[in-house]
Amino acid sequence: MSTSEQPREPAGGAPGEAPAAPPRPSGPPRSCAVDGPAADLRGMTPLSPVGRLAATVDRLSREVRAAQAEAEGRALIELAKGILVARLGCGPAQAARQLAELAEQSRVTPLEFAVDVINQAARDRVSEVTDAFLAAAVRSTDAGDGADAGEAGAGSAAVRLRAAESGALAAGDTQAVADALLEQALRPLGAAAVAIWAAGYDGSLTLAGSAGFSAAEATRWRYVPPDVTTVARCGLTERTGQWFTSLGETGLPSVGRHQYPDGGRVALPAGTGGRIHGVLEIVWPVPLAPQPPQVVRQVEALAELCAHTLESYVPPHGAGQEPRVMPDAVELMDLADGLYDPALVLVPHLDAAGHLADFRIQHVNKSFLDPAGRPRAVVGGALLLEAYPMAAGDSELFQNVERVYATGEPFRARRINLTALVDQVPLSAVADISISRHGNAVLLIWRIEDETARLASLLQHAQRLGRIGGFEENLLTGEITWNGQLFDLYGRPQTSTPVPLEELTSHAHPDDAVAIGRFLRTLLHHRRPASAAFRLQRPDGVTRHVRVVAEPVLDTDDRLLVVRGAYQDISAQHWTEVALAATRDQLAHTEQQAIERARLTLQLQHAIMPPAQAPLKVPDLQVAVRYRPAETEQLVGGDWYDAVRLPNGLVLLCVGDISGHGIEAATSMVVLRNALRGLAVTGAGPGQLLSWLNIVAHHLTGGVTATAVCGLYDPARRTLRWARAGHLPPVLVRGAQAGPLPLVKGMLLGAVAEASYEEDEVQLAAEDTLLMYTDGLIERRDRSVEEALAQLLSTVRPAPDSLDQHLDRLLTYSRSDTDDDTCLVGIRVG
Amino acid sequence: MPIAQNPLSVEVTLEREEVALLKVTGYLDVDTATEFQHHLANQLHHGRRHFLLDLSEVPFMDSSGMNIILRVYQEARELPGSVHIISPTAAVRRVLDLTGVSITVPVSESVDEALSRVDAQPEGPRIPEA
Repeated sequence: MSTSEQPREPAGGAPGEAPAAPPRPSGPPRSCAVDGPAADLRGMTPLSPVGRLAATVDRLSREVRAAQAEAEGRALIELAKGILVARLGCGPAQAARQLAELAEQSRVTPLEFAVDVINQAARDRVSEVTDAFLAAAVRSTDAGDGADAGEAGAGSAAVRLRAAESGALAAGDTQAVADALLEQALRPLGAAAVAIWAAGYDGSLTLAGSAGFSAAEATRWRYVPPDVTTVARCGLTERTGQWFTSLGETGLPSVGRHQYPDGGRVALPAGTGGRIHGVLEIVWPVPLAPQPPQVVRQVEALAELCAHTLESYVPPHGAGQEPRVMPDAVELMDLADGLYDPALVLVPHLDAAGHLADFRIQHVNKSFLDPAGRPRAVVGGALLLEAYPMAAGDSELFQNVERVYATGEPFRARRINLTALVDQVPLSAVADISISRHGNAVLLIWRIEDETARLASLLQHAQRLGRIGGFEENLLTGEITWNGQLFDLYGRPQTSTPVPLEELTSHAHPDDAVAIGRFLRTLLHHRRPASAAFRLQRPDGVTRHVRVVAEPVLDTDDRLLVVRGAYQDISAQHWTEVALAATRDQLAHTEQQAIERARLTLQLQHAIMPPAQAPLKVPDLQVAVRYRPAETEQLVGGDWYDAVRLPNGLVLLCVGDISGHGIEAATSMVVLRNALRGLAVTGAGPGQLLSWLNIVAHHLTGGVTATAVCGLYDPARRTLRWARAGHLPPVLVRGAQAGPLPLVKGMLLGAVAEASYEEDEVQLAAEDTLLMYTDGLIERRDRSVEEALAQLLSTVRPAPDSLDQHLDRLLTYSRSDTDDDTCLVGIRVG
Repeated sequence: MPIAQNPLSVEVTLEREEVALLKVTGYLDVDTATEFQHHLANQLHHGRRHFLLDLSEVPFMDSSGMNIILRVYQEARELPGSVHIISPTAAVRRVLDLTGVSITVPVSESVDEALSRVDAQPEGPRIPEA
């Protein structure tokens, strides 16, 4: 909108009246008004400079608007003074005094009297309309309705029209006329936009001025070639006012059709002295009902007003034209309209000295939502600091826009705290900001909570499924938001007041106070995500096991803004964990038992066969035994040895191996070992003994099989008579030679019900050593038993002096790779 | 040691309706004996009476493996049926001889030889060699 204190040109009906003032400097006066006091204010209120500044800007804006209205009135008064100067031949001061006196005598305001003076002087269409209004007002007064109201209404209508005229004439160009017409005369009639078309000599139409359309739309419609039928052309060709109830019904194209597709339209030829200079097109946002004659006449008067400006309108010449809006800004506006986030197109606003004072909000896009909830139209066209005074505050939004404009370097930031003042109440919103420069304009995009809101709704579902209650606590405002789940979890009605985090302790089991204290300290003091599990004591007496997880939300200045998080009812999980812990204990117990069983087995082994046995006293014979349990306790098994002197003087030598491991194997071992001792007392030969032992083994439960080698040494004859049951034969070490005795036939014990065993006898000599062993000594997967044995025997050659040493070395150098227990019995003759 | 690298593989083919040939590949030891036993139990369950165990690809057998053979031998003898060991490697042959299992469980050089022994076996419970 454009206004001035003084008309630059006298009214059409009063040519020759002196212009009173030079054209005002470009730029709306209110920006100056804002910048001045506001700048002073910054220094005055150190406590809350931005808040005070914002409030002041608001107040000043209102004052400026009032002043503007007053200025418009003053323009009319000045005009009337000019008329009086001409008519009365007096000076301006006398004319002013005359005007005041006459107004007082007529009991009207000086403004209304000034309008009367102008009307009398002009005698134009506007006067007729004004007269008609006054007449109508008088009629309604006659009818007995509030006289004051009627007169005042008529009076203000007259003032309004003249003000529009004054504004229109004061304006330097048709664009300003359009602005003045829309604001002063047409908005009161419900119109939303206006277009003033200049008719070319060839029948083309040029948009000389418009108001109420987006700048981009106006730019698109800047020229309509001849023979293109539009609404405006109808007005031109018909030469009378064309009133359309709805643009949609006409099917005609026109400017702003997308914005107001169904609104009413009026196209009026604007002519003076029989010549049509152009068309005034008025746009209503809604379908237009037939209008009363007064309105029709008023609108026709306005068209005539336009004609005066169009008369002197010189169509711009192509490239020489300076577009009202920079083309790059137009593109940017189109771009902004395509964005789904709120976007502002800002253009620099310079003060009188040419310094950057502010940014004008050139355009707000379709997705624009004011953080303070104001309508788009209020923000569009305003100055940035005026619309968002708090932009100069901590968020440094304004400074960022300034910097981007200066350097061209884009600015992107997440979670900027935007504050807007609405009726002195600061409303804060957290937004992601993007600022970038395009040509001479700046594009400012923000995204407020929209995405967050979408995610939040997703989260809602997840929370419902996981029995999670979400919350958000604003630490600045103290506002707490709970979702429905959380109320349920707390056992409180949805209408009750949420519990702040800091009061959590009073809702929890006393024993959990420390955990909650730690949680709050981590979250609020250290500002780190935290969680705690505690027992929630609900008002209904129910105790739930609850876990709370929360994270701090900081703004860019690292201030703690919001705490958000979730409670989860882990009662079910809790009891599962308790059960699990019990199971774990049980398992540990079982494990302990297993270890004890293994130990028991070992103890059993040791009790029956001490690892080193007391030496057997036999003349001319050394006897030694070794038992080495498996390294893994559980593998301690059923190996056994025996070396005992029988009543008949013979020495029973035996080594055996029960298949399997553990306590069962050990038990079987005990049975077989004792059975053999008992059977041996009968004096039977080794084959017979094994045959009997097979029967014993076969009747053991669990399908036990065993191998054994059994020998009876006769000290008198130095002979060993022996048999084997599936076991490795004894090894005879004689001098440098070592080798196993021949493999006599003998089935392992327990596999079949009855078995027979071959016997063999070997004659021993002095210094001969005979070894009986279980396969733990030599067993390897990668070579045969013979190879392994030969390798072992070679490592202990020459035979050490004592038999005990010999056996120890065999155990030491054993290369067995199957962690099996090992028994070793040796005799040395001599 | 190559236990994990050489898992046991048992391939079962039916030579005749009641005669199953099990070709064993891998170590027959405490780690694999149970699996071998499952294969044998499965065949028993399906009514096989004669079991031909091809051990030509068994480089090592310990007492666990041997016990499985003895167990299926005892089961088969009750049916009556039989167990035959075919082409054992030297190491396995040695274990069979050492333990005396080869006294009870016949060892054949080929499947055909084993089959002819199956044919020769009289119907009725086998009398153990005494």
